[in-house]
Amino acid sequence: MSTPAAVNTNLAAVPALGPERPVAWPKRTIRTLANGLQVVLAESRTFPKVSAQLFFRSGNAVVARTTPGLAEMTASVVRTGTSSRTSHQIEDDLRRMGADLSTSAGADSSVIGISGLAEFSAGLLELVSDLARNASFPESEFERERRQKLEELKIARTTPGFLANERFRRVLFGDHPYAIVAPTEEQVAAYRRAELEKFYRCHYTPANALLIAVGDFASEAMLAQIEEIFGDWRAPLPESSLVAVPPKPSGRQIFLVHLPGTVQTEVLVGNLAITRHDPDWFRAVLANSIYGGAFHSRLVINIREQKGYTYSPRSGVNALRQHGYFSAHAAVRNDVVAATLTEMFYELDRMRSLPVTAEELESARSYLTGVFSLGLATQQGLLTQLSTVYLERLPEDYLETYRDRIRALSADDVMLAARRHFDSANAQIIIVGDRDQIADQAALFGPVTQYDVHGQQLSN
Amino acid sequence: MSKLHIPVEHTTLANGLRVVASPDHSAPFVTVGVYYQIGFRLEPRGRSGFAHLFEHMMFQGSEHAGKMEHIRLVNSSGGLLNGTTNYDITNYFESVPSNALERVLWLEADRMRALKVDDENLRNQRDVVKEEVRVNVMNQPYGGFPWLDLPPIAFRNWPNAHNFYGDFADLDAATLADVRQFFHTYYAPNNAVLLMLGDFDPKEAFALAKQYFEHIPTAPAPPRADVSEPPQQEERTGEVPEKFGPLAAIAIGYTMPQRDSKDWYAAAILDRVLHGGRAGRVHRRLVLERQIAVDADGGADLLEANGPTQMVTRIFPKPEVDTKAAIAAFDEVIGELTAQGVTEDELAAVKVKTRSDFYSMLEGGMGSYMPRFGLMHYLACFTLFDGDPDRVNSVLDSLLAVTPSDVQSLAQKILVRPNRAVVIRRPVAKGVAQ
Repeated sequence: MSTPAAVNTNLAAVPALGPERPVAWPKRTIRTLANGLQVVLAESRTFPKVSAQLFFRSGNAVVARTTPGLAEMTASVVRTGTSSRTSHQIEDDLRRMGADLSTSAGADSSVIGISGLAEFSAGLLELVSDLARNASFPESEFERERRQKLEELKIARTTPGFLANERFRRVLFGDHPYAIVAPTEEQVAAYRRAELEKFYRCHYTPANALLIAVGDFASEAMLAQIEEIFGDWRAPLPESSLVAVPPKPSGRQIFLVHLPGTVQTEVLVGNLAITRHDPDWFRAVLANSIYGGAFHSRLVINIREQKGYTYSPRSGVNALRQHGYFSAHAAVRNDVVAATLTEMFYELDRMRSLPVTAEELESARSYLTGVFSLGLATQQGLLTQLSTVYLERLPEDYLETYRDRIRALSADDVMLAARRHFDSANAQIIIVGDRDQIADQAALFGPVTQYDVHGQQLSN
Repeated sequence: MSKLHIPVEHTTLANGLRVVASPDHSAPFVTVGVYYQIGFRLEPRGRSGFAHLFEHMMFQGSEHAGKMEHIRLVNSSGGLLNGTTNYDITNYFESVPSNALERVLWLEADRMRALKVDDENLRNQRDVVKEEVRVNVMNQPYGGFPWLDLPPIAFRNWPNAHNFYGDFADLDAATLADVRQFFHTYYAPNNAVLLMLGDFDPKEAFALAKQYFEHIPTAPAPPRADVSEPPQQEERTGEVPEKFGPLAAIAIGYTMPQRDSKDWYAAAILDRVLHGGRAGRVHRRLVLERQIAVDADGGADLLEANGPTQMVTRIFPKPEVDTKAAIAAFDEVIGELTAQGVTEDELAAVKVKTRSDFYSMLEGGMGSYMPRFGLMHYLACFTLFDGDPDRVNSVLDSLLAVTPSDVQSLAQKILVRPNRAVVIRRPVAKGVAQ
């Protein structure tokens, strides 16, 4: 061991990083079955578990014009009965296999996800297949789920984060289906069981599906098992329905959602941006990381560590299938709403006006590449990465090349992305709080439109 | 059934710091944690919220890594970091690519040895913590339910019964002198355990731990707060106003057996008979069968508690259902369990799920980006509370050895009114958010 003097010298200097160890990218087995089902398998054998997700490339966007939220309701009821299993049996079967099941739908996809002990992998997949093919939509279960949804919606409309996001998506996406993040209570009350079944028959089909399984299995044996369980499933691809890109909102606008009695204000700022297929995607990811995408980012240092306005400010570049958006948010004390907006825009404009420092650039590139590899060390992390690649139809070598693509970016790339995609002049501003305490501050930034929690416009 | 064995190596440095390593070469990551045996249960009287406020101060700078440096160095090494304050421990942890192990150990050692903060840091983090409390508790429907609601009703001894997030007046009263004293009292190597998990050679890792930590001076053992509770004689009840949410919410807590008793394992299984999603008896009866609740579930954090703790059930009754009726339905579930016990078949299924959940906890446990967080957490608790990190390899067997009669006799003993507390969150005014 070192002498005390040597130890002391040692202690003042940050130890250098050791040589990087190679990341072994998980080997994938990729196959498309004769019925169109795309299968992606990756072995992860440290823990004796298996996680699988069966995605359908149809979600709430498909039904937003007619029955908003119907894909989500369909997914909720899918798990409550099949032609051969009651709701109780499904839950008992799950527990006997050590399994958790989740069924849900986002804007672009619906998913049946399961995770359980590897020794029951056949049973787990059979259950997923049963839910995907033979759901029976019991009337009583549908009514129970509908009622639960109604109560959940009432609670959501008292939650600042939900209200901010709901108004933001309306403002950004206008007439596009992505504008709607949740149905109204009236819309949920009007769902009919036949509509759920129709969505299910039309969209839960193998040609519309992607099955990803990660875990403690041998890929060849798992593939054979999948062939056996899913191979005789036949149903056609649904028609796709693309909707035109909405025009970008022009000029800063401020939208205040009035939630009486709040002791804090939710602030959200953002604009339409890009999808993962845009050539600027990696540039935007890196720029976001420096702006507000990490603990060590400009926005967090400024409004949390220097000014103490907020606990968890963050920004993100968010990609949906057809469009994407950039946003930054913070929950701040009521008397610093204007000050927070000033700092958010200051930091946005700084990203657009001045190159980031060499140190910031290097730090952010290392952050993104390092965290990316950490995400492969658990089954759920690997599943998340693979679902992004295959659901979004990204290049096959996306995982292997991600780190090189990030490392190749320069300060010019960051400024270019900020100028194109951090659209400060046309950013939309949402604030959720008690208008008596914050309306004056909001008005400093332009004309304010006020809404109640149900989306009804209020007079100022 | 495949049997999982976790490699565990451990030692104690000359200054009393316990060091635990669990090599895992499945991916080039390391997760490092330092756990101090101080939590909000043990914070000084009249200083509610101080343990948590102090946790924030540990990110404000140490002798060789000033404000934001700790965060910058971990992020720029490609890693993530955080800290949490719990009843009996406060932890600091990071997951990084494995080539950053030495750097992370240096950082953790620097702040264990020489925290360096000033009044400005304290004012800043006091503001940040207040916004944390607002965003998580005061400005959310059901914020703090039930973890902040139940203890003051269930318990009588201040360490177990106070506001753990802190009254703002107490936060305002905290001084830099308090911060320094707290640091010197509790943040000593002999009151902590260092954990290293992931892709490294244990011999090298132990050598680095020795190099960076062993010279940090030992401190006198901190005073051990008396966390015992006087015997409870009758059911305890209370109400808390719910400012935003439209539904009433009920929490029912039963005080659990002492750590490491035979009943302790049975309690963990009993909890999983009642809770754990849709197959649990409470959810099945109240939500799926009787349909009187929008949601109902619960749980007990037995492995990480080192003092009085409760198994807590949360029920959100439908608005047309009286809270008394909802509690009566819950009582029927409890009555059936105490009268008839569990079948072998039900218990077998519960155990399979217990095993599966245990593996998932070890693998991740805090989202997918903190590999082996759960393993780290269990190793830390087994080291600090039981003196034996290797229990991570035997605790599952002890849980799986629980019999139906163990469950029933424990249920008869603890699922009784004089061992429970009930708190109701009552909406203040219908339609407040119109």
